[in-house]
Amino acid sequence: MKLLRKFTFRLFVLLPFLMASTLVIAQSDPTGKSPVTRTYAITKATIIPSPGAKIDSGTVIISDGVITAIGTNVTIPSHAEVIDGTDLWVYPGFIDAMSNTGANRPEPMERPDNLFTPDPPNDYAGVTPHISVIEQLDITESSISSMRKIGFTVSHTIPHGRMLPGKSSLILLSDAEHVDHLILKKDVSTVSQFVGAPGAYPGNTLGIMAKWRNIYRNAELSKRNTELYASNPTGLARPMNDRVSEAFYPVVEKSQPILFNASSLLEARRAIQLQKEMGFNLMIGNLEQSWEIIDELDNNNVSVFLSLDIPEKPEENDDEDKSEEVANLEARRLEFYNRHMEQFAALKAAGIKFGFSTHGVTSSKIKKNFIALQEFGFDSTDALAALTTHPAQLLGIDAITGTLETGKMGNALVSTGPYFSSDSDVKMVFVNGDKYDFEIKENSSTPVSDEVASVLIGTWNYSLTTPEGEQTGKWIFSTETGALTGVFTSNDPSGLADTDMENLNFANNSLSYEFAFDAGGQMLTVFVSGDIDGDTFVGTATIDAFNMSIPITATKGEPEQ
Amino acid sequence: MKTLRLTSIFTILMLLFSINDAKAQAPKGDVLIQNATVLTITNGTLENTDILIEDGKIKNIGKDLRQPNNVTVIDAEGMFVMPGIIDAHSHIAGTSINEGTSQVTAEVSMEDVVNPMDVSIYRALAGGVTSIHLMHGSANVIGGQNETMKLRYGTTNPDDLRFEGAPRTIKFALGENPTRGGRQRGIQPQTRMGVEAMIRNSFNDAIKYREAWADYNSNRSNRKIAPEFDLRMETLVDILEGEILVHCHSYRADEIYMLMRVFSDFGIDKLTFQHANEAYKVAPELAAFGASASIFSDWWAYKLEVYYSTAYNAAILTRNGVNTSINSDSGELIRHLFHEAAKSQKYGGLSDNEALALITINPAMQLGIDNCVGSIEVGKDGDIAIFDKHPLSTYAIPQMTFVDGVKYFDINTDEADQRIMIDPESTIEDVVIFSREDFDMCMHEESLVNFYELVNEEK
Repeated sequence: MKLLRKFTFRLFVLLPFLMASTLVIAQSDPTGKSPVTRTYAITKATIIPSPGAKIDSGTVIISDGVITAIGTNVTIPSHAEVIDGTDLWVYPGFIDAMSNTGANRPEPMERPDNLFTPDPPNDYAGVTPHISVIEQLDITESSISSMRKIGFTVSHTIPHGRMLPGKSSLILLSDAEHVDHLILKKDVSTVSQFVGAPGAYPGNTLGIMAKWRNIYRNAELSKRNTELYASNPTGLARPMNDRVSEAFYPVVEKSQPILFNASSLLEARRAIQLQKEMGFNLMIGNLEQSWEIIDELDNNNVSVFLSLDIPEKPEENDDEDKSEEVANLEARRLEFYNRHMEQFAALKAAGIKFGFSTHGVTSSKIKKNFIALQEFGFDSTDALAALTTHPAQLLGIDAITGTLETGKMGNALVSTGPYFSSDSDVKMVFVNGDKYDFEIKENSSTPVSDEVASVLIGTWNYSLTTPEGEQTGKWIFSTETGALTGVFTSNDPSGLADTDMENLNFANNSLSYEFAFDAGGQMLTVFVSGDIDGDTFVGTATIDAFNMSIPITATKGEPEQ
Repeated sequence: MKTLRLTSIFTILMLLFSINDAKAQAPKGDVLIQNATVLTITNGTLENTDILIEDGKIKNIGKDLRQPNNVTVIDAEGMFVMPGIIDAHSHIAGTSINEGTSQVTAEVSMEDVVNPMDVSIYRALAGGVTSIHLMHGSANVIGGQNETMKLRYGTTNPDDLRFEGAPRTIKFALGENPTRGGRQRGIQPQTRMGVEAMIRNSFNDAIKYREAWADYNSNRSNRKIAPEFDLRMETLVDILEGEILVHCHSYRADEIYMLMRVFSDFGIDKLTFQHANEAYKVAPELAAFGASASIFSDWWAYKLEVYYSTAYNAAILTRNGVNTSINSDSGELIRHLFHEAAKSQKYGGLSDNEALALITINPAMQLGIDNCVGSIEVGKDGDIAIFDKHPLSTYAIPQMTFVDGVKYFDINTDEADQRIMIDPESTIEDVVIFSREDFDMCMHEESLVNFYELVNEEK
């Protein structure tokens, strides 16, 4: 009797879910966008199931989100949509080991009235480790589709913010109806970065390092106090409730790592210093300068996600009369370009398995970067490992994805030839078994759409209203290199030097990019976003470091002479 | 059993690694300098004398020393050898200078922001400097902890520049700078009175903090809720207990005297006044307290509170028995501190030895490193500067600079491009002489904060 009741109860609880899922399938679809089947068979394709492996003329079956078969002797289910894979290459879907993909940048927080700068509220100070990136996720974020278009299926997304912006999540780069559908794994890490609060404590690295030590030591004490109180509260003063400390409990227990967004050598060393003092598990992402600290990274078991923001090869001045000094300066710059490029192979040689971070990188530059790395001892197999198996292991999802294997999630990319070459295009991407098909233009290797070509390409004259007066200059957009690039220039001769736009995105008439400049020793990043209507752009330029948003407008046209 | 053994092997490995980490030792050199005029500072001037440095330490000083095998020999005939110059007030080689957002930031440390790749380090070496005191800025009443460093240029690891065994020091600031910050933010202190109150309140808070933890630790068997940990209070407690030397930015005689009274009340005696332009007015009082002064030779006229300044400051303080040093507070002045010291001979007639002590043994004592550096003595570190003429001569040019017996500067092999880290995307244009001086001064980051506030207040 008791048993029966238990069973009925379970059924009762489960029933609404069963019905709900049936409803999803049975729901009519007046838009006609739902696929006829979720079973796909890619046949006669060149399959790279994992880095270094290859199946010629093979078949992959992806059914209801899962890879159900792979090989040369595979029975194709009768209800499958068959994709002729002749001349096509199939790879595991890429994993972006650190980015803001899918996360909306929140409006800069207003400076509170009568802010007590030595001790600002936690949200203004940027100390919000209790927040999840899920709160910033937006299913309409254009970065989801732009990253998917180049082969990424999973992103380890970190929140926008300052010193401790919150917890990261692994998300699927799919067209979801609800944010919850994007989430593959939540609270993967507690994120930290060396970004101070504008005009309040901690204002820079000095305060951030000290605040870090304080927060961590108090989290340890708070954990002990709370456990003591929970075991027997009699006679004890109630420990203070503190969300920041609580958010650090899993870090203190070493069940959750700290992910430091640390691009420079010195920032990475500081992250390792904090780890040495406190003993937490450490990931370093967005790292651009690893070559001097390979031993430290190795000895301290740091999980590394190298930045895909790879420098352009410096161009030498071809002036015949250039001075010896300029020639020497060029030679030394080239030496550092080479060091930068060689670090990928150097890390590999040291036995360090690392992933790639696309944080702050324009998606259209990414594939070009892999090709550039091939000249520096980092071949396509190495690149694929850093995009699939290595980040899957480091992020704890290697049982789910990272290779094309029976039973794994249906994350794959299909390209018109070997992916890591300049004459192939991504033809389709599967995320969680759902197919995303891309139109490929004949005789063109550019992933730039007609919309971009007609609306954006050319010179724009912008006007920026700063507190010091109006600043004007040009934006020059081009696709000459095969990818969409933009340059930000200033009409003021004493103003900014020409600066490349980073993280450039344009879709549905909405343009966004960022650029960084040196303001007297401090690098400032300006984030520009807005909408284009005909030949007019209206938007805002945001400088997080100053907590400042100012209007920016632009009109398309030939530069005034 | 097997797991146990594995664990112990692992522990041993970890220990080995941590020892390796701690021992990531700076290079030590061997060198024999022959036939030099040696300005020892503590033992007069020795003509035609050799100095033998082995494994980074001065092993022997004397005439016609035997040349050991495999030791580099430098013929310094006609040249002058002095101890490496020590700058007790510098802001080069830091990626941040001020955490100016709060008026008490004892918890922050310049150790965290050392930039070993700053080419200003090389420029300082080219001026005979071997050690600097990288100070926090003067935007706050109790600023951050400073870092005493050796200029071992050529590494990307900040730890390689650490001055092993140097005591901890901290920056305090009085007068216009911290009160300006207070007024801008509408917080304490807005007056010189507020500065004193803030220092007293901070120490009283630290005493309470120490009591709270002492009480918690006194009987651990009791079930107790631990008090909050506060790195700021921990640091202030260490000051009260004499573990941290205080270096206080100050100008006016009245506030210099004020701080000595406050420190007497709290029983703190390790105190150096930085800048101290009016220290000459309270020289006997400084001597009685045992406080030191680290000053400019003749730099003033940049704000009201430096109005009553004199180039005789160094001489008056020295004659009154106050340990006095001359510092740079600048990425430019640091290259010719020997000129700055020489000015005390024009203004006040200090002897050669007294003048050179201003940039060697005296700052070493102020930083608590005089057991290692500041004079040429057997057993001290091989930190040496070689000049072609007497360093107090206007015509003197530094020739070589050694730290721990390792040569970091040699005018004969001085490459034009001394950068350690280069941005591969940097543009190369006509070479422009660029002044870093604005960066290397105390108030640098505060002016950035001011810009921010300008923006927001005009909104």
